[in-house]
Amino acid sequence: MAYIMLTLLIGMVLGVISVASNPSPYFAALGLVLVAGVGCGVLMGHGGSFLSLVLFLIYLGGMLVVFAYCAALAAEPYPEAWGEWSVLGSVLGYLLLVFGGVSWFWGGWYEGAWVPVDELIEFSVVAADSGGVALMYSLGGGLLVVSAWVLLLTLLVVLELTRGLARGA
Amino acid sequence: MLKILIPTLFLLPTTWLTSSKWLWPTALTQSMLIALASLTWLNNSTDVGWATLNSYIATDPLSTPLLVLSCWLLPLMILASQNHLSSEPVNRQRMYITLLTTLQLFLILAFGATEMIMFYVMFEATLIPTLLVITRWGNQTERLNAGTYFLFYTLAGSLPLLVALLMLQNNAGTLSLLILPYTKPLLLTPFGSNIWWAACMIAFLVKMPLYGMHLWLPKAHVEAPVAGSMVLAAVLLKLGGYGMMRLMVMLEPLSKEMVYPFIVLALWGVIMTGSICLRQTDLKSLIAYSSVSHMGLVAGGILIQTPWGFTGALILMIAHGLASSALFCLANTNYERTHSRTMLLARGLQIALPLMTTWWFIASLANLALPPLPNLMGELMILTSLFNWSAWTLVLTGAGTLITAAYSLYMFLMSQRGPLPQHMLALPPSYTREHLLMALHLIPLLLIILKPALLWGWFA
Amino acid sequence: MNPFVLSILLLSLGLGTTLTFASSHWLLAWMGLEISTLAIIPLMAQHHHPRAVEATTKYFITQAAAAALILFASTTNAWITGQWDINFNLHAFPASLLTMALALKMGLAPVHFWLPEVLQGLDLTTGLILSTWQKLAPFILMCQIMPVNSSLITFLGIASTLVGGWGGLNQTQLRKILAYSSIAHLGWMVLVMQFNQQLALLALVIYIPMTFSTFMIFKTNSSTTMNTLAASWAKTPALTAITPLVLLSLGGLPPLSGFMPKWMILQELTKQDIPLTASVAALSALFSLYFYLRISYAMTLTISPNNLNATTPWRLQTTSSTLPLAISTTISAMLLPLAPATLALLSP
Repeated sequence: MAYIMLTLLIGMVLGVISVASNPSPYFAALGLVLVAGVGCGVLMGHGGSFLSLVLFLIYLGGMLVVFAYCAALAAEPYPEAWGEWSVLGSVLGYLLLVFGGVSWFWGGWYEGAWVPVDELIEFSVVAADSGGVALMYSLGGGLLVVSAWVLLLTLLVVLELTRGLARGA
Repeated sequence: MLKILIPTLFLLPTTWLTSSKWLWPTALTQSMLIALASLTWLNNSTDVGWATLNSYIATDPLSTPLLVLSCWLLPLMILASQNHLSSEPVNRQRMYITLLTTLQLFLILAFGATEMIMFYVMFEATLIPTLLVITRWGNQTERLNAGTYFLFYTLAGSLPLLVALLMLQNNAGTLSLLILPYTKPLLLTPFGSNIWWAACMIAFLVKMPLYGMHLWLPKAHVEAPVAGSMVLAAVLLKLGGYGMMRLMVMLEPLSKEMVYPFIVLALWGVIMTGSICLRQTDLKSLIAYSSVSHMGLVAGGILIQTPWGFTGALILMIAHGLASSALFCLANTNYERTHSRTMLLARGLQIALPLMTTWWFIASLANLALPPLPNLMGELMILTSLFNWSAWTLVLTGAGTLITAAYSLYMFLMSQRGPLPQHMLALPPSYTREHLLMALHLIPLLLIILKPALLWGWFA
Repeated sequence: MNPFVLSILLLSLGLGTTLTFASSHWLLAWMGLEISTLAIIPLMAQHHHPRAVEATTKYFITQAAAAALILFASTTNAWITGQWDINFNLHAFPASLLTMALALKMGLAPVHFWLPEVLQGLDLTTGLILSTWQKLAPFILMCQIMPVNSSLITFLGIASTLVGGWGGLNQTQLRKILAYSSIAHLGWMVLVMQFNQQLALLALVIYIPMTFSTFMIFKTNSSTTMNTLAASWAKTPALTAITPLVLLSLGGLPPLSGFMPKWMILQELTKQDIPLTASVAALSALFSLYFYLRISYAMTLTISPNNLNATTPWRLQTTSSTLPLAISTTISAMLLPLAPATLALLSP
């Protein structure tokens, strides 16, 4: 399990670098998806299976649609992937930075970061976060109403903001 | 106290509700009645000195002369402004009288306050009406610059004073003028207490103004309309001297060392501003610099902190208030006829306005401190106490007096004697209003010498 | 904008701030902040002018960053102390993070750069909402996390009063000037917040009617630059005469209301034995006063019969109600004699 976590965490760092090294939007979006997916894996490793499921299905699902549109709008004739020299330079720079940081803080490193929490090993019958969901449905009624209101608000905000395009703004 | 304050407050409805025909006579009558009623303050027969005492305001021998002077100035300002406002719409005339009235209200509250913070608030409150009078009713574009200088010099000096006063209040638990002389002095580090002393004094020294911090004054005087110049010279500068006298009591052990640079500056300023007067071409600027010079002497008298110094300073403040206000009125009568402040363009006026020359003569003599006027009494007392402190000051004060006489005569001769220039063909004659205005300035000045004890303050 | 949509937006604007007021849980407070940010965005962009859209985008990005920082800091706090309560003592590190995040939300000095540019892109009514109502929620949160890192708070306060004064000196755009004035006033509030939250609240309560009057005066004269102000004596003569009082009150000149919070704050600072900070703050108010004075010069003190700086514009009778403006100008000019009553009203 520790190896899987290690792989996921390294994947996360690489994914972040792949976005930060400023390639074309397609590839940056790919990097973001990688980070989000790997992040869900990390969350699951720490016991948040329900949360990571929700994230993966809803957030990533919505995100992919948005990214597809954005990438289509911002299409470039000569996209720059990570192999380009300008991007590769910053990739290598960020990698150096990461390795430097790791070696600098090596002594005071929190050893348990990639070890799965005890919960998953011994109390895996009920995950804590799904208990939280049940609690929210039984006690947090007001909060749910507010959340619903916020969804309505967001809908109206988005409509109001995008409507103006037709009027030439 | 309320007998004066409430009628002053009710000048505002008087101003706004009387018909435009009777606006100026009514405002003048009411303010004159207030001024006459304020004379009763001079009849102070209490043993402790504090009279008409209530929880916020009171009079004492130090503040009474200044209070009466502020009350006296309002009818004179109304009288002086009548002509140059006659071309304005009536609402603006009312607004102008309103500003002057609020100024008087704040001045009475400032001089009457028994609480330092109240004095401070009212000291600052006088800035707004004065600023509006200068920047709204001044004539040249430079008036905006003058207003900015006026406001920022005063505020930059007085905001540290607020902090210093609040520190004193935290330490002593009170800022009441009746109690403060009996509280223990503020204990700070040596450096801190020096700064504190400076914060307490510099606000007033800027207002006085001390030489070196005086740049705002000539600008404000030159650009202000006549009422603004009058009240600025007669009363507003005196706020500085009054505040210094009030605060000196609490600064006791520190002042002995700290006053040296300020006395030096003050006396040096007497010479320097007097010399500037000698080569002025602008009439109002000359009178303004002469104010700086006289107030330098007052600052010196206050800073050495002897009873004679304080008494002399108080007498000189009142006498200079009346004399310089009279000079500004005279300058304004010239200005209204020639529309220029330049002395070269308005010479030989004795031929054209012979009776006015009498007033010029008396006012110039008052400015150069001729016996038996109270100006001389004040200057002599200050000179004596400064001489007693250090014989060398006589070099500066003596030269200062000489220069004062020289520029006063220069001003008189330049404006009144000699042939009338060719370009002055049709001057309006001097009006009864103007003669009344001058008489109301100079008769009190002459009468005061019959009973100078009214101006002696606490100290004689 | 559709009135139903507008009502929902305004309602949510109220809801967000109230939610933050009422919450004792960081998550809920964060949610309230987000709701009010979200609700004002269509209001800001309702004219779809490129400048308005730019301002909206800038506002959204800064507010989202600040909210994310708040969420991160409160999560960190919960991780370290195990508490989500706002009133529970915070750990020093998330407390500093939260202070900076709230400073970013309100536009305090080192992180203030968005405020003038955003305000410049908005119309005066939305600008008014932005500089009064939108400040309330982060302000109350900041009051609740006090006392935190004292030197950070003092730095924020002094830097804000200085930057607020300095930045406005060079401006001719009224909305930018108002933005800088808002920065300076918030600096005063933050400066005293660590010692006495009631005084900070007092300063806010006095600031709101003053800034309301200023925005409304400019709106009545429909002017957004200093040049257009010179024509206002022909549009609204009485208002033109009163405006210098409101502006000088914003500058904190006695005996106007604006002096009251400054006076009380200076007293509190000297009581805490930091007279140097008090003096610096007091003198930095002079910078702000300078540009208020410039507006007064342009608007009131250079009018007819002096030479005019502008031509007389075509004008119509104003139809909007002037009663709120009358009340707020009275409050912002004449509250100083009522200082004891105002203080008593706000003390717990």
